[in-house]
Amino acid sequence: MELMKSSDNIIQDRTQQQHKQEPEMQAQEGQQEQGHHFHVLAVDDSVIDRKLLEKLLKVSSYQVTCVDSGDKALEYLGLLNNLDSDSTASSSSPSSSSSSSSSSSNSSSCSQSSQREGLKVNLIMTDFCMPGMSGYDLLKRLKGSSWKDVPVVVMSSENVPSRISIRCLEGGAEEFMLKPLQLSDLEKIEAYLLKSLHLSCTNIDKDDDDNNADHNSDNNNDKVVNNDSNIDKGNNSTSMNNNFSKRKALSSEDTESRRPKIKGLAVAI
Amino acid sequence: MEVGQMQRRLVDYTKSLFMEGFLDAQFLQLQQLQDESNPDFVVEVVSLFFDDSEKLLNDLTMALDQPNVDFKKVDAHVHQLKGSSSSIGAQRVKNACIAFRSFCEEQNIDATLRCLQQVKQEYYLVKNKLETMLRLEQQIVAAGGSIPMIELGF
Repeated sequence: MELMKSSDNIIQDRTQQQHKQEPEMQAQEGQQEQGHHFHVLAVDDSVIDRKLLEKLLKVSSYQVTCVDSGDKALEYLGLLNNLDSDSTASSSSPSSSSSSSSSSSNSSSCSQSSQREGLKVNLIMTDFCMPGMSGYDLLKRLKGSSWKDVPVVVMSSENVPSRISIRCLEGGAEEFMLKPLQLSDLEKIEAYLLKSLHLSCTNIDKDDDDNNADHNSDNNNDKVVNNDSNIDKGNNSTSMNNNFSKRKALSSEDTESRRPKIKGLAVAI
Repeated sequence: MEVGQMQRRLVDYTKSLFMEGFLDAQFLQLQQLQDESNPDFVVEVVSLFFDDSEKLLNDLTMALDQPNVDFKKVDAHVHQLKGSSSSIGAQRVKNACIAFRSFCEEQNIDATLRCLQQVKQEYYLVKNKLETMLRLEQQIVAAGGSIPMIELGF
């Protein structure tokens, strides 16, 4: 598999093809036009923290959407009209709503599926302590919805007791991060983003659930898929490669600009 | 004053703010996030902090002025102020908030009133210093110079 000896090499190649190596901070300018960015939804009631987070993410070449509450987050994701996970059995198509993931039937209500058409969110970062819906509440809502495969990171401005942070982790959060976040924290986030791609690839492989994969990851899929296939022999790497090879070229831009430590991450995955 | 002198003055002033604990490393992080595409980032964040803090301080003053003080509410405000001061690196304000919160827990009205005064004092001090620093920066930029990045040993 030309795919790779190591992910680093792939990235090098891509880099040479697409861009010259740029310092991380400047890369975003070149990236903007490409349109293949990870999209992060940031939820925080503090205007200062939103501004900070937005900047941190943009500097790392992510697309960012900020909202100031859990309700707004749900609204953005198109979840507000649906009460919670397995709601209305009544509505139109049960399984034909392939846009939703298997268990949560949430989505079905006609054309307004629980995901807005074409909306892609790769990661959700939420503050823990918010008036109204807390970060934990939001987390539970998300994990019970068609967005459940999107990684969620919970942030807090103080060292919360471990029973709380553990509760969040048990609730499906990837990590509990301490604010204020720094650029170095963003590297961890990248790991979750790539992990989400891996998950969605595995889903494709298993469930024949295309929309799920599309939703979670667009073209970025491919590179990670390809990376994994070498390392994780258990996958149907060959078929995945064949399927996605065309899209491979398009997906390159993202990682270069962010100087990802892909090699380490791939191994971890 | 020529640009080089202004720059040195700015560097010294900024360093003193760190030395005296008004600012901590988080403020450096803010400065690092500023770039040509967003050259007013620090000013914007600091302005947001000022607006936010002043509102919170007003809310706190009112909340502590009630016959029956709602300490949960007071604590919520202080928590917010602690968060925002921490996010911009206003260390002394943050520390004052931490102390404040412990007295809120005790529901100690006298102590919390003193804490409020303390927080206000720290806030106005850092506000003053930040405004001075930003003014120095503006002068440098207006004179065609660039703002030197601060490197700190600690």
